[in-house]
Amino acid sequence: MLERLEGLRIIANAQALDAAVWPNGSRVFRLAADDVFLLGDGEVHLDDPHAIVELETGFSGMSMEPAAALDWLESTCEWELPGQRPAFAQGAVAGLAVKLWFDETEVFVMTASALAAELEERMP
Amino acid sequence: MAAFTFDGSSVPFDSGDSVLLALRKAGTIPGGTLCFAGDCPHCVATVDGVSYVRMCQVSCRDGMTVEPHPVGGAPPLPDGTTAHTAPLQIRHCDLVVIGQGESGSAAAAEAIARGRRVITLDSKQGADAIGIYAGLTVLARSQYGLERIHCDDVVVATGAAEIQPVCTGSDLSGIYTARAAEYLLAHGVDLGTVVAVGDPPPGHASVSGQLVRFEGEGRVAAVVTRDWDGTEHTHPCDTAIVGLGLHPRDALFRMARDLGVTVVGDAAIDATIPPPPQAGTICPCANVTADDVKNVWDRGFHEMELMKRATLAGTGTCQGMACLPHLRSLLADLGGTVQPPFTARPVTKQITFGEISAGAHLRAYPRTALDGEHRRLGAEMDRIGGWWRPWTYGDTEGEYWAVRNGVSIGDVSTLGKMIVTGPDSAELLERLYPTRIAGIKPGRSKYVLILDERGYVLDDGLVCRDGEYEWFLTFTSSGATFAEMWVRDWAESWELDVRILNRTMSLGAINVTGPHAKELLERVGLSDPPSYMGHASAQIAGIDCRVFRLSFTGELSFELHHAIADSVELWRALLDAGADLDLRPHGIDALLKLRLEKGHILVGQDSDFDSTPRRLHHEWAVDLSKEFFVGKAATIRTNKAPLNKQLVGLTMDGPAPHEGAVIWSDGDYNGYVTSSTWSPVTEQSVLLGWLHLRNGELPTEATIEERRAIVSPVPFYDPDGGRARA
Repeated sequence: MLERLEGLRIIANAQALDAAVWPNGSRVFRLAADDVFLLGDGEVHLDDPHAIVELETGFSGMSMEPAAALDWLESTCEWELPGQRPAFAQGAVAGLAVKLWFDETEVFVMTASALAAELEERMP
Repeated sequence: MAAFTFDGSSVPFDSGDSVLLALRKAGTIPGGTLCFAGDCPHCVATVDGVSYVRMCQVSCRDGMTVEPHPVGGAPPLPDGTTAHTAPLQIRHCDLVVIGQGESGSAAAAEAIARGRRVITLDSKQGADAIGIYAGLTVLARSQYGLERIHCDDVVVATGAAEIQPVCTGSDLSGIYTARAAEYLLAHGVDLGTVVAVGDPPPGHASVSGQLVRFEGEGRVAAVVTRDWDGTEHTHPCDTAIVGLGLHPRDALFRMARDLGVTVVGDAAIDATIPPPPQAGTICPCANVTADDVKNVWDRGFHEMELMKRATLAGTGTCQGMACLPHLRSLLADLGGTVQPPFTARPVTKQITFGEISAGAHLRAYPRTALDGEHRRLGAEMDRIGGWWRPWTYGDTEGEYWAVRNGVSIGDVSTLGKMIVTGPDSAELLERLYPTRIAGIKPGRSKYVLILDERGYVLDDGLVCRDGEYEWFLTFTSSGATFAEMWVRDWAESWELDVRILNRTMSLGAINVTGPHAKELLERVGLSDPPSYMGHASAQIAGIDCRVFRLSFTGELSFELHHAIADSVELWRALLDAGADLDLRPHGIDALLKLRLEKGHILVGQDSDFDSTPRRLHHEWAVDLSKEFFVGKAATIRTNKAPLNKQLVGLTMDGPAPHEGAVIWSDGDYNGYVTSSTWSPVTEQSVLLGWLHLRNGELPTEATIEERRAIVSPVPFYDPDGGRARA
């Protein structure tokens, strides 16, 4: 089941995000050059006075066992998945906008909470 | 012995037999020249409910059911109970090699040696490529189901097919191509007395002369040939074998040659051009005869592509594998030059609805965080503005009066929402919107239109100022995604230093509306509500909210924007706090009624592709004294043209006409209704619709669905806006 995630959404200039030091133990998803979704506790210091830092509960996610995830993605993902680990990728999966985090132990699947029910219906 | 059913009769088979081979062994032979290679259309049948299956390509399975297609007709469509979506496998590689004969294997081996990732497909190994699309993408059917293979290069090495005979009697059974006969003999089939023409299979001699016709009743009984001097010879037989040469099996190459696909081996050979057929069926799939082709030629269709379209030759089951050499030959005979083959298009073989739908998904409609609450309350949910939304909770009129007389809540989480900050943020918005932005004070909001470069209305919403460099924008529910692209595109084009965050799916929004809205909000902690068109941060029922004071319903209204994780808690807190106020939620049906009484437009429903602010009666939302905004030049230009149509309000007695109904003036078409509803509070039907001006004047009345409609000022309800500003 996909569960609602609670983190920070940070929009700032790319240089500020490149230079940012993220809290220990946090997971940082770089959604775009100017866009980060941060899962984890702790303060973030950014060298951008105009940065947008907002509580973000608009994503839902779940962890999948790598083999099962790859099996599912093989029939639903038209783009080539990254081969290296860890890796972050995003694009259409089963017709929905999905973000994927790959490491040796899991594939973490995220989508907008508003689409979570649809994605679950399209998952194995 | 294992057996399958063919046309109601049991047919035994040996392990490894194809259906067609088993039928031949049993003495049942379809008509037409059989190739046993999947090229011709003569052995298609319905196998276990799937039609257009080539029996020569399917291995027998115990208990399977095979039905011949109706003679002269199409097989029945599946009844819907047996169809299923085929599994889809998506693969990626550098090179796909289609065909694993000598040249295909060599191409694959060479690429592998160079370190390329290669996928090979071969129909004999159960992986049948049936289409190549830009991308490059190869579509194949395999035992897995359907495969879409994304690659950089494709090599087509599909070999060559044997040319079918076209003459009188070529639709009789008992006629085989040379390779088919060789295959049957290798499987121990007794062909009886054989007559071969052209290049025979090993061990057989050909009769001399040119093939003229086949004779027989249903099954071939003799082959007639003609010598060079015109003498005809009749050769009695049980089986006729024809070896008329080869033509490339290159449809996959022809459909993708412009995509950089390579063809090798026999698939690249120059086709044999047979003698022009004088009689018989050239295209057995579309039943096109040599006479048909000549008739079409005489009508002026001389190009191969036109001939294909005029006769439908080449558009059927085998996609030209049987007819193409003969069409080229006949057109060369008629016109003096050999024309290139006609275009091939995906797919080369018939596929099922299940295969077509493999990997396809319906458009996903997002759900607000309150979706479960709406369903729990018995709401009738519908797809509206790109989202699942509650159309009604079962009593639209009751929901309506709750807003007009009491208090109600509605889920407006679907509204587009965006944060914009940065040193150039005011400059960006000033250029984007046709109204003055800089004068908006922190804590205040302004209604805005968005225009495109042609001055047409794209969307509407609010601009709300939080600080010197901080802004919050709203858009319509269906316009939010486009609005983000629009804002980002202009910000990048103008190289402005801004930060942009789309919050549409991250923030929920609940509209608290009705004369008792303030009282309800006081109960949940809002002691100091913002004034009309103001906004402020506040805790509502312990939840952090941004409170917007505005009105879409025409009553006192507050929108509570909040993190969607808190939507359910806030919704329930409001319902609990308003229980003794007869609080009830309202659905979209009631909301549309409420807004129409106020004459608020819905962009996309009331506006059209060419709706200018002037045509929408929204000139007040455009400040042409601004130095620049997107669409300004076009607005000035179109304002110089005479106004030819306008969105107007209309009222009628009796029930509301249909939205989309024609508006008539003096018996002529004069426009159409964009929105209509029965207005409980004004006790008449109220409408918005497009009317054309006549001699520079709008008509004062019109006819809609054979009833009188009066052009009326909007808003229809509370024209001074006192209730919303209360």
